[in-house]
Amino acid sequence: MGEVTKAKLEAIRNGELSAVENIRQALERISKLNPKINAFIEPNHNAISQAEAVDKKLNRGERVGKLAGLAIGIKSNINVKGLRATCASRTLEGYVATYNAEVIKRILREDGIIIGMTNMDEFACGSSGETSAFGVTDNPAAPGHIPGGSSSGSAAAVAAGMCDLSLGSDTAGSIRNPASHCGVVGVKPTYGLVPRQGLIDLAMSLDQIGPFAPDVYGVALLLEVIAGFNPNECVMLNVKGVSYADELEAELKGMRIGTSPKFRELTDPKIMEVIDSAIEKFHDFGAEIVEVELPHLEKGLPAYYLIMSVEFFSATRKFDGRKYGKRIEDVCGDEVMRRILRGQYISRKEYRGKYYQRALQVRTIIREELMAALEKVDVIVGPTVPKLPHKLGTSLTPMEMYAYDYLTAPTNLASICGGVIKAGEVDGIPVGLQVQGKMLGEGEMFRVLRAYEAVE
Amino acid sequence: MKMLIGFEVHQQLTTERKMYCDCPTNYQDVKPNSNVCPICTGMPGSKPMPPNERAVNAAIEIALLFGCEVITDKPIYIQRKHYDYPDLPSGYQRTSLPIGLNGELQGVRIREVHMEEDPGQYDPTLGTVDYNRSGVPLVEIVTEPDMHSPEEARRFLRQLVRVLEYSGKVRPEAGGAMRTDTNISLEGGGRVEVKNINSVKGAYRAIKFEIVRQKSKLERGEPVTRETRAFLESQKITVSMRVKELEEDYRYIPDPDIFPLIIDNARVEAIRASMVEPPYLREQRLVEQYGIEPAAASVIVSERELADLFEVVAEEIDPKLAAIWFRTKLKKVLNYMKLRAADVRFTPKQIVGLLRMVDKGEITPEQGELVLRELVKRPSDPRRLLQKLGLKRLRPAELRAAVAKVIRANPGAVKDYLAGKEEALHFLAGKVIKLTHGRADPRKIVELLRAKIVGEK
Repeated sequence: MGEVTKAKLEAIRNGELSAVENIRQALERISKLNPKINAFIEPNHNAISQAEAVDKKLNRGERVGKLAGLAIGIKSNINVKGLRATCASRTLEGYVATYNAEVIKRILREDGIIIGMTNMDEFACGSSGETSAFGVTDNPAAPGHIPGGSSSGSAAAVAAGMCDLSLGSDTAGSIRNPASHCGVVGVKPTYGLVPRQGLIDLAMSLDQIGPFAPDVYGVALLLEVIAGFNPNECVMLNVKGVSYADELEAELKGMRIGTSPKFRELTDPKIMEVIDSAIEKFHDFGAEIVEVELPHLEKGLPAYYLIMSVEFFSATRKFDGRKYGKRIEDVCGDEVMRRILRGQYISRKEYRGKYYQRALQVRTIIREELMAALEKVDVIVGPTVPKLPHKLGTSLTPMEMYAYDYLTAPTNLASICGGVIKAGEVDGIPVGLQVQGKMLGEGEMFRVLRAYEAVE
Repeated sequence: MKMLIGFEVHQQLTTERKMYCDCPTNYQDVKPNSNVCPICTGMPGSKPMPPNERAVNAAIEIALLFGCEVITDKPIYIQRKHYDYPDLPSGYQRTSLPIGLNGELQGVRIREVHMEEDPGQYDPTLGTVDYNRSGVPLVEIVTEPDMHSPEEARRFLRQLVRVLEYSGKVRPEAGGAMRTDTNISLEGGGRVEVKNINSVKGAYRAIKFEIVRQKSKLERGEPVTRETRAFLESQKITVSMRVKELEEDYRYIPDPDIFPLIIDNARVEAIRASMVEPPYLREQRLVEQYGIEPAAASVIVSERELADLFEVVAEEIDPKLAAIWFRTKLKKVLNYMKLRAADVRFTPKQIVGLLRMVDKGEITPEQGELVLRELVKRPSDPRRLLQKLGLKRLRPAELRAAVAKVIRANPGAVKDYLAGKEEALHFLAGKVIKLTHGRADPRKIVELLRAKIVGEK
């Protein structure tokens, strides 16, 4: 297990598979499967010519980048010059990016090929992949069920083999939730590890771009390409030259792996069964399993929805109808509207102390709690989502929808990292194991993910 | 009637780059929307670069010039101030919490100094926006309402502008680079804020208008409501923009995309050590050090470059003579030519040479002024200029001959003078000046005329 990405890269480097052929296959798969899955909003018509350039380098025996020839899907809230960054919204349906996001520059530098822009919940506001103005995305691993969100298309595209790797963004679980539902690997990096320049905001203090792949090697490789300090933006950690992919070890001896009784309280017992057996395996590999207390974990969710709404309200003020055609409030879907209005309401001067400030206080409590737990253990493992994905078209109340984020939002509130790998299935539906690591604890996190992958 | 007046003054800082991106700031010299990038146009997904350090240093220096305590070792958050206007590309303006607090200038307390970014320029007629200005750093100085008359307010504002210009850290007051909001309240009435004031003169007029308006309301027994008004420069009146109840809620939040500024003490001290001497202190020093008149010192420090030049010149010749020349002649010539001291191209050595000739009586002050005018226009050695202008002083014999000739030619005037009409002498003197092309000292001419007429009688 876990050799898909590596094998593909080697085949391209050896000349067994040309980059052009790889891209052509991906595009064919997209045109065949996309009408049903709807993972892509638009393919990149220049992908073939970019692949030709990579092949030329290979044929001449020149050095090629780490991602040479791989087809990479990009969430539609990341600017790729010349392609539409719609955020799956009518507001930006005609917005063609005029510049490359920093992560895109880094991917192109490593000879990765942008295969297209993926579908998502509108402005990343959703946990199901159903709020896109370009239609819902189906779950290739459990057809007829939601793929999860908001990076629905990026997860579904990898799950369906429409691309080799993809980028999503995660504000409260938007990478990990669809990774869990679609049975792929997804990582939300430590806040400040990956440049956000070029990522269209949901909530600036929580957003982080991260990778999807069919295997741990794939996410580790894509993360090391996009991670690291960017002098042209402010809120970044001073980290340079990370490497993960070549240092993947499956060795768990001596590692302390945390788990919390809190997870069981909040999660569907059928999901917990799968998670429990995964944890048993860690024990068998020689890791020490340690219980940690996370008494306020569930309070992270309401705090998140308040903080996010205020930041989202601020971030969307530029969509005033003057520059991008349509004023956001005039054309957006219900969930986007709900968040804008909530943010507008609670950021009022007279309510400052009442909602936003208190939510920030709760955020501090959650952060301290997780930090304290991660003093005792190397990683915390548990379920990713508390419930199984619903069937497409089922009507949920906002609170039912928000409940998907109980276990993922605290990671973002604490600015730490979290990765997801398929742990098993319930009734044929994938269930993801979530591994949360310390700030910049990506190394340990990958080790645990890889150890699990290696035995499966 | 008791009145309280306060100001909020905005001025652009003279940095080459914008506050949160690398675009140049010379927005007036270039085509619309040429100094722009995804950051200063607020393109979706753009993120601010770390705040321009030079701009922050300039704001620190300005805070120090106003005697503020600079906030050190504490996070100074950059806030988002939300409002909806076409010139604002992201729907919010970034504005810092105070960099300096509790300063003072001319007895007026300075509440705070903080930083902002300029929005773009919206043309309501064309419906276009030019973003060249968007993101240009601004400093805002907020006073307490410590002024009590329009005249006092004007005096203060002039002094404030002088300090700002002196620092060399702000753009000269041109092209709307200075913007002032004024708040005015009379005893028994609400506080009225007047926006859209672009000059000291405008502020004075707006305050005068407001006092008359508010006073007459109060005298009629009507309430003066708390509101924001706009000053209409062309009509010299203010009109209501919005009343307090409808005042905008800016929904301030700390910008999550920018780490707060943290200024350490070493940085403040380094800036303090190398900053300019504020004009009010320099004025005192000039009086004490050179023994010149306070009035002259005040004129000399009105422009930093003028004072710099003065101090070089005062090392070479009598400072008192230099002070008189700077205060009267040089300032007059510059004003007449609409030049600033910064535009002066002649060297200190050249003006020293000129003043030496005057001092030694080689030329008259009037001639000196003519040379000075030429010196400002086409800098050169003053002696050469003197020759070029044909201003070499007359030999005494030549002057005596001219006086004799005029007396002979104007017997009527001579008679009048002898009859006691003093003006007749001035008439004759004028004739001599004309005849000698202004190359003689008028005082000497009068003296000679008088001696000759009286002596011949």
